[in-house]
Amino acid sequence: MITARIARVALATSFVCAAAQAKDTVRIAFVGPLTGGNSAIGLGGRNSADLAVRLRNADAKSKYQYELVVLDDECKPDAGVQVATKAASDRGIAAGVTHYCSVVAMATVDTYHRFGLPTIVWGAVLPDITYKNDYKEIHRVNGTMINQNDTNAKFITERGYKKFAILHDTTDYGKGHDKYFTEFVKKYGGEVVADLGVGADQQDFTAELTQIQAAKPQVLYFGGLTPIGVRIRAQMDKLGLNAQFDGTSGIVSDDFIRGLGPLAEGVLAFREGGPAEKLPGGQFFLEKYKAQNYPNPPEAYGPFAYAAAVLLMDTIEKTGPDRKKIIAELAKVKGRDSIVGTITFDDHGQNTVPAITKYVVQDGKWVLWEESEYASGKRKLAGK
Amino acid sequence: MTREGRERLAQALAIVFVAGLSLALREDDFALFLVARVLIVVIACLGLNVQFGYAGVVNFAGATFFGVGGYMAAVLSRGTGVPHLFILVAGGIAAALAGCVLILPVLRTRGHYAALVTIAFALLFRTFLEVNDSLGGPQGLKLPELRIGPWRFNEPIALGRFEASFLLNYVILALFLAALAFALVVRVDRSWIGVQLDAVRLDETSAAAFGIPIARAKITAFTLGNFLAGVAGALSAHMVGFIAPNNYSFGESLILVSILLLGGIGNPWGLPLAAAIVIVLPEQLQVIQEYRYLLYAGLVILILLFRPNGLVPRPLRRLGGA
Amino acid sequence: MTLALFAQYVMNGAMLGMMYALVAVGFTLFFGVLDVIQFSHGDVLAAGAFLALGTWVALTKLGVVSPVLLLAAVVVVSALGTALLGAVFARTLVLPLKGAPQLNVLLVTLMMGTVLREAIRLFYPGGSQPQLFPALLPTTAYGVGGFHLRLDNAILLMAGALLIAATHFFITRTRIGLAIRAVAQDEETARTMGIDFRRIVLVTFGIGSALAAVAGVMDGLYYNEIFFGMGLLLGVIGFAAAIIGGLGNLYGAILGGFLFAALQTIGAVALPFASAYKDVFAFAVVIAIMAARPTGLIGERASERV
Repeated sequence: MITARIARVALATSFVCAAAQAKDTVRIAFVGPLTGGNSAIGLGGRNSADLAVRLRNADAKSKYQYELVVLDDECKPDAGVQVATKAASDRGIAAGVTHYCSVVAMATVDTYHRFGLPTIVWGAVLPDITYKNDYKEIHRVNGTMINQNDTNAKFITERGYKKFAILHDTTDYGKGHDKYFTEFVKKYGGEVVADLGVGADQQDFTAELTQIQAAKPQVLYFGGLTPIGVRIRAQMDKLGLNAQFDGTSGIVSDDFIRGLGPLAEGVLAFREGGPAEKLPGGQFFLEKYKAQNYPNPPEAYGPFAYAAAVLLMDTIEKTGPDRKKIIAELAKVKGRDSIVGTITFDDHGQNTVPAITKYVVQDGKWVLWEESEYASGKRKLAGK
Repeated sequence: MTREGRERLAQALAIVFVAGLSLALREDDFALFLVARVLIVVIACLGLNVQFGYAGVVNFAGATFFGVGGYMAAVLSRGTGVPHLFILVAGGIAAALAGCVLILPVLRTRGHYAALVTIAFALLFRTFLEVNDSLGGPQGLKLPELRIGPWRFNEPIALGRFEASFLLNYVILALFLAALAFALVVRVDRSWIGVQLDAVRLDETSAAAFGIPIARAKITAFTLGNFLAGVAGALSAHMVGFIAPNNYSFGESLILVSILLLGGIGNPWGLPLAAAIVIVLPEQLQVIQEYRYLLYAGLVILILLFRPNGLVPRPLRRLGGA
Repeated sequence: MTLALFAQYVMNGAMLGMMYALVAVGFTLFFGVLDVIQFSHGDVLAAGAFLALGTWVALTKLGVVSPVLLLAAVVVVSALGTALLGAVFARTLVLPLKGAPQLNVLLVTLMMGTVLREAIRLFYPGGSQPQLFPALLPTTAYGVGGFHLRLDNAILLMAGALLIAATHFFITRTRIGLAIRAVAQDEETARTMGIDFRRIVLVTFGIGSALAAVAGVMDGLYYNEIFFGMGLLLGVIGFAAAIIGGLGNLYGAILGGFLFAALQTIGAVALPFASAYKDVFAFAVVIAIMAARPTGLIGERASERV
């Protein structure tokens, strides 16, 4: 039955292509958290993917008209599997830009595989999503938390810091970062003097921070997202805890700085992928994003959602909206330029170019470490 | 025809309707997924109905007991060779046992105080799952496919010329269990236990004066309700194939309670309708993306203001005669 | 543990307890007059905090710089606006449901909380991310050994205590307070004594909500940031505090608030397991307390009404 239907669709497609000039509409799905605590990043990703589709549709040279089907996974596995079933079982959807929350991405890989929907993960960082299975359908443009923490730990120990305190949220994101950072920082000769988990919606961290203060760390590593990152940095100040704040990709957002004001100065953070503003097309993306007047900023992972959507549409231009062909074509992606750096998929569909960008907050902006006054020695990190 | 007879007929018709609907949708995976979810939620809410509606025991941790069932299923099916049919029952038993922890405070408190006990338990459970790594922590656990004898649930159905999505397997099982649970709950309501529970809910003091064992009645209702929620949770975990603490938050418990109230508390007949609305409506609202919860919450408020007794209010019990 | 460290924990816990107590007092007042739980109370608090922030943004744009003036304006606008919001909720949602099952009121107010929360997230500019709350109090810090005391924290703590004392005075020493207590004790009798029941309910909801707004502003001043979901946990904890203390009892609410803060601090610091278990610990103790004292620590005096 299903093959018959595909044959019918294929027949219809080829017929239309041959007969008419009017563009066919191809639908691609975007799945991410649009409600709840992670919605800021989800909305940023949604807007970015939407931008990619709009720009492509405005381009007269593209073969197809694209339509973005937006679905909310609520950052919950069961809701995720539900919308994944909706997208994947709908044969009119050619491919998907999927998931920011790792736990949802893990839950849905089987569904995409079963229905053969090619997907590109745009934000989830858990290594297992691509490496714990052999599914050809699953790809990922962003790097994993392994790369990120390797670079982070190496960088921070090279600055001469020895004693580290780790504070992480108890979600998959925070726990994963805790695990890999601990591993790497020990490898590079650092000592972990405190390691505490906190709730992702917790507001008061004074008890944990007082405990950390007693251990006298030089660096406070934080594995978690912007909302509690802001709180923790602000409460460190309240308690007079003067350790260097070292964060993950989850805090690389304008809101982190907006939420802290001058307190954000000197905060370090690392993100997978090249710096959007320096890469070909990156500046263009940021300008166009602004021009669309979206109510929310793209956040740290917006560029990945954009890059994933562009990559999918480039592929569909070549192969047509045929899921099998799209998967075959995606397997060949090598050295492709994008606004997040070069994309090369390994045989697990993982982008292997481990470009990690180092950021530091300087005068209310995320600045590339290499270009900052901290690197040139004009300003100093905490305790230096 | 007696009232009992009419109800039996209505039950049979409902089953035939769902079965027919599922057969018509047999290749529409997403529709089947929704049908199965509605049925599973109906099972859990039938449990809550016994607690809230019959015994008047509040339980704001419905999703927690649902989750206990799910985690029990995950642990058993990953680590042991226990037959899967038994795993569903074990999920229910685990939830019932977890409920025993709360029996003392639930028996002693009432009203808002009892509500707090269950809310505290719901928050405690979720945090515990996230912090504790032995059950997968925040990253959750993957479940293998459900198998009952030679019946493999994740394989598409192909019997001769009849083909259907693998999800029809889950719909069939869920429908069977929901029908069973429904019959059980209706029977409890009609039996002397139901009369006792009514008495306990309406006036504990006079119930005690008539010699009704209040504690026993409440424990029975609480445990039976949690058992049903646990069975539903175990089935749901297998169908989704993955469980994580995010699924069992306090918010999910509230959704179960809102289904119960929308359906008409104490009346199992309203539940399928209410469950269908609550599951399918937010799905239909996907078009409005980030605004859907705003609208959803507003709609629930309106329904409760204008139909305070739910969509299908409970009829008065008529003792003696048809 | 050194003395300085201990003092630090006590200070942290006291601040937390003060905020919980303010929220719990609101719950207990509402329960007193109407026997209902207003479950959107936490989100009303968040609304108050965002109203305060909005006022600050508007005034700064108008060129007001004096911190004293800003602070006064922010508190007054937020308290009045939120009081109005609370009264509107009482008028449109809670009073019409009088006589309906308690569960309905619970669910309606919970859903109203969701509406408020989502509205802040979607309609306040940038509302889905935390917002910087301005530091309007002097931030001078005193360090004694390892103990770090900031002037703004001390002021907040004192302001909270004064506010609770003022509420207590209002309830026990004024005519409206008398009317509120009369309604709380027996609505029918109060009506026959010529007390305008509806008005008292609206006033009570106004006062309780204004308290929540002030707690929201305190929260913002203390943490220097506010976010749309801040009311969710504060609401649940405030409810828990009011219940542990014994519903309808002002002292109980205060006691419950500080007790919960103490439990969290002990759970995070003094117990042998990881600090992430602190909420597991706090809620487990709450359940145990309920088992031991089913009507709260300072129980409702009314016994079984047959």
